[in-house]
Amino acid sequence: MTDQLQQRPVLKASRFRVSKGLVTMLVALVVLFVLSGSVAPSVFSTNVLFSWLEFGGVLAIIGLGQMLVVQQGGVDLSVPGAVSLAIVISSQVPNGQDSGLPLAIIVGLAYAIGAGLLNAFLVGFIKLNAIIATLGTNALLFGAVLMISGGIPRLSTDALRKIAGGSVSGIPNAFIFALVALALVWLLTKKTVIGRRFEMVGANAAAGNAMGLRTRTHIGLSYLWSQLLYWLAGFLLAGITAQPTAYMGIPYLLPSVAVVVLGGTSLLGGRGFPVGTFFAALFLGFLDQFVLALGVPYAARTLIQAAALALGVTIYTLNWKKMLGGVGKKQNNSPQASAVGAG
Amino acid sequence: MLASGATSTPLDLNQITRIETTMAPTTKTTTATMVLSGITKRFDGVAALSDVSLDVFPGEVHALLGENGAGKSTLMNVATGNYQPDEGIINFEGDSYSTLTPKIAARLGIAIVHQHPAVLPDMTVFENLRVALPESVFADKKNAKQTARDLLRNVDLNVDLSDRVEDLSVAQSYLLEISKAFALSPKVLVLDEPTAPLDKESVDLLFSLVAKVKAAGTAIIYITHRLAEVRLLADRVTVLRDGRVRGVSTLDAVTDKELLSMIIGRELASTFPPKVNAVENDVYLTLENFSGSGFSNVNVQTRRGEILGVAGVVGNGQSDLMRTLAGLNAHTGVVSIGGTAQSKRDLIHHVAHLPANRIHEGLAMTLSVQENAAISALKKFRIGPFISARKERRSVLEQLQELEVKAPSADANVSALSGGNQQKVVMARAILSSPELVVADEPTQGVDVGARAEIYRLLREIADSGVPVVVNSSDAKELEGLCDRVIVMSRGQVVAELAGADNNETNIVTSAITATAHGESASTEADAPKRSSRFRRFLTGDYSPTLLIAAVMVVLAGYILTQNPNYLNAFNINSILMLSTALGFIAVGQTFALLIGGIDLSVGPLAGLSVVVASFFINDGSPVMSIVIGFILMLATSLIVGFINGGLMRWAGFTAIAATLVTYIAVQGVSFLLRDAPDGYINQSITSAIKFKLGPVPVAFLFLVLVVIFLERGLRNSRWGLSLRAAGSNAESARRVGVNVKKTNMLAYLASSTMVFFGAVILLAQLGVGDPAQGVSYTLSSITAVVLGGTSLLGGRGTFVGTIVGGILLIQVMNAIVFLGLTEMWQYGFQGILILIAAIVYSVIRSRQKKEA
Repeated sequence: MTDQLQQRPVLKASRFRVSKGLVTMLVALVVLFVLSGSVAPSVFSTNVLFSWLEFGGVLAIIGLGQMLVVQQGGVDLSVPGAVSLAIVISSQVPNGQDSGLPLAIIVGLAYAIGAGLLNAFLVGFIKLNAIIATLGTNALLFGAVLMISGGIPRLSTDALRKIAGGSVSGIPNAFIFALVALALVWLLTKKTVIGRRFEMVGANAAAGNAMGLRTRTHIGLSYLWSQLLYWLAGFLLAGITAQPTAYMGIPYLLPSVAVVVLGGTSLLGGRGFPVGTFFAALFLGFLDQFVLALGVPYAARTLIQAAALALGVTIYTLNWKKMLGGVGKKQNNSPQASAVGAG
Repeated sequence: MLASGATSTPLDLNQITRIETTMAPTTKTTTATMVLSGITKRFDGVAALSDVSLDVFPGEVHALLGENGAGKSTLMNVATGNYQPDEGIINFEGDSYSTLTPKIAARLGIAIVHQHPAVLPDMTVFENLRVALPESVFADKKNAKQTARDLLRNVDLNVDLSDRVEDLSVAQSYLLEISKAFALSPKVLVLDEPTAPLDKESVDLLFSLVAKVKAAGTAIIYITHRLAEVRLLADRVTVLRDGRVRGVSTLDAVTDKELLSMIIGRELASTFPPKVNAVENDVYLTLENFSGSGFSNVNVQTRRGEILGVAGVVGNGQSDLMRTLAGLNAHTGVVSIGGTAQSKRDLIHHVAHLPANRIHEGLAMTLSVQENAAISALKKFRIGPFISARKERRSVLEQLQELEVKAPSADANVSALSGGNQQKVVMARAILSSPELVVADEPTQGVDVGARAEIYRLLREIADSGVPVVVNSSDAKELEGLCDRVIVMSRGQVVAELAGADNNETNIVTSAITATAHGESASTEADAPKRSSRFRRFLTGDYSPTLLIAAVMVVLAGYILTQNPNYLNAFNINSILMLSTALGFIAVGQTFALLIGGIDLSVGPLAGLSVVVASFFINDGSPVMSIVIGFILMLATSLIVGFINGGLMRWAGFTAIAATLVTYIAVQGVSFLLRDAPDGYINQSITSAIKFKLGPVPVAFLFLVLVVIFLERGLRNSRWGLSLRAAGSNAESARRVGVNVKKTNMLAYLASSTMVFFGAVILLAQLGVGDPAQGVSYTLSSITAVVLGGTSLLGGRGTFVGTIVGGILLIQVMNAIVFLGLTEMWQYGFQGILILIAAIVYSVIRSRQKKEA
């Protein structure tokens, strides 16, 4: 009762908020920079930095796509097929001719939309488990990869190499594309009505339902948005590597999940952290370059990645223990999309 | 037996006759079975029970009466060991305990039938009985099924033992729960609101069951809201109010009026805002024959400015009515606001819904206060296509301050707020959305007294502004104080409408607990569930996918044979089976993880690592000792990885994906650390020993079949199998029936890794060299095989046999490409189509069965 006698509370709200994931990643990056400066200064050569931003940017784009799915409580295993297909279409369709590039873009986007709608249909409407559905879609996408390429790689066109592999005042184009993708994802999810509803459904689908939001549509369409991003990444990779192969998307699956987790997005769904994801991709990319510069084998790099991931999850989990503690079985299955309270 | 029909005049209970006229055995010569004395239980310093005592004698039905929140269930949770009391003594047959655990309580013979049955939906009726009851019940293995059937017949539950519990109706799962309690021949049986989920016939049955066990000398504690049931069944009655005993009496010595006066009269510390002086003819919100799932034919009119209350014993259709008013469920009949009839779509858009379960449905706990408050009004804050942060912040802050929400900041996660402030955030969201109707379901649940008064004031302000407000509350006092008009519901129907001076707690409670109405929907439900046909049971059973996949295999083989007669030659059969053996073992491991509702991404890299480890010890010319050590180290590697997987989940709170993703990457790293390129050729004689075959069939494959048969039997019949599936089906229910879920989870990941060890031994022979890049692909193909075999990724249901068959089909499809002269593209295409079609078919079978249930 006495509360009422107190002064009206003045609520604060800051203009800018910095997520835990972002802070963690920025600190990690700085630490890594300092460490590199003393242990492996060769990392700071122009070439290495260029390729860091280039590949880090591509991983960031893929990670943003994965993030949109993960924040709806799903996980997208069709990354390898989607990225590989985009690469193959971008290099095969033009057949070395610059004039064929627009067609390649249209075909590539059409496939991406098709794959996205298929996943959206399977997960959002038939309510298949996200892992199964995207696993199946992934196989179909590889089928398409081999149908189009026939297993024979072709050279990318000059224009594509310029667009994807070029640079503007020293900054790789791929990185600029990644920045644009980041800005778009951020604006759309944080600044539009549909994006804010999308986040609400991801954070609590049951609450979204109770306020009349179209939860199934939001959950399903996250797979479409992610496919568009995978296409962009594949398109860029086709230009960055002059002679792309049919399976180049495969190594991106696990890092795509790793950057989402490191960026602070929970595998149980919820708020997405695009900026955190972006910097997590840069962090993992730099880690690669650092370890490469140290001259230690591939193995150490992988182990360090695993350690970083474990540490990252632990940092976030400890703070969220309260939230995770009470979650029952059916919700606890991170791969599960939405069926909270279905029983 | 029970007075039928929906007529219920308050306090007129004379028509109800008692069926049980046996004397209460309260003669002091018999000793009480259980005595609770001086029990006090506090939650966060708030006393839920203060100095409560209760005793129950053999062959007695002791009714425990009280309003919602009086402390009845808390007391019973103390009695059954779920809660530890802060003060007081529990005396059971002469022995005193300061506290019980569920285990001790079960051993003593205290059984409770919860309102929400602890059943495992993915398991069969028989398996549910077996996992929940001690093994002694089914000690006679040959007649176990007969024993189980007798248990069901005992409670007149007419279902087949192999029916899945998921397919049972609410009433049927409740009867199953009761049969479990009866099976133990308990000395004390606690029934918590047993008639709430039951239809008329089941209620009659239940009453005769109670009479039966009572005659057998069981002491029964019967928790209820309904006076009529007390009169029918009970010998003595204890009334609780606000966590204190308000009276104990033999039933003969107390009138209904006296009982009611003990139940009613709780003090409410909050103050209520003044009520409205509504204009008599100014009807604003109208419900006409408004019906929906869970309630029917609601007719009520409210005047402008009125707050309409919905009362009744919890679970009598009030929540369904609220959800339907919010546009979440379909309705028939008319709802009109200010003269305009509303469709379901209109309701979704124009009604602000404050759900009862704030945490589950009201708020997104991981989003900020501001994000939660703004979500329904975002369109108002737009400038062009984008939301203006300034506009949003200004409006939301203004509203939050208007409601005096106390929060560290508007950017704080809403989970950081107290219950009362969370509720105010929900209200801020409602007000910001400028609704035409506000539907508040239990708006003060879990809210402290101070904040309650503010919520009452806010609801009144909304009503004053001309927006009709409907409030559902289980607190009759609250409805009396807050509402201008109250409808009382019982079993989905309105049994009273109270307004003006009639709207008081006494009338509300009297109407609610003396009503004997049986809902229409409830009674029709009793006819629906029929015994399932044998075919149907097979179709929805665990083995139908296996058979389906096997059929596909045969058809595929037949087709390939017409295209290429060499298909079934010994060499090809051998190679298919050898590949299937490696995949089979690893997929069986994956099945363990999926059965418990998790996933094991690390199986692929682990198989690879094991081979790499072996390649250091099991070479040509290695001494026998070295070879033995090699195999031991392979197994140790597997167990360590399994332990890390389970440990990350158990102690660090990782999800299954996160934990096994970490080990996936790390294990791969270790492989490359040990060997950065393929090296270390495997001992030839070991290789050929592993590849040894009888005719075209590898012995290793036969070994796999034996292992799978053994595991499959265990999964169906043994303790570990039942525990594994129980924990995967519903962890919470599994815990309640006594499964150690944490331990089971750890064991599942250890089992998964152990199977990978066997798979790695086969892989060892196939690869013949330690290659760090190999094995990884087994993660995805093992998941594919398991899914093809029909194991659910949600946990709780699946088979090892199906996994093996799924694995063979997968290998067969890859192999077929070669024999059909198709390009590699088809290998992927087939695989994708196979997995999607399988998943869709299985999910359709499953959902159809749910609809029919």
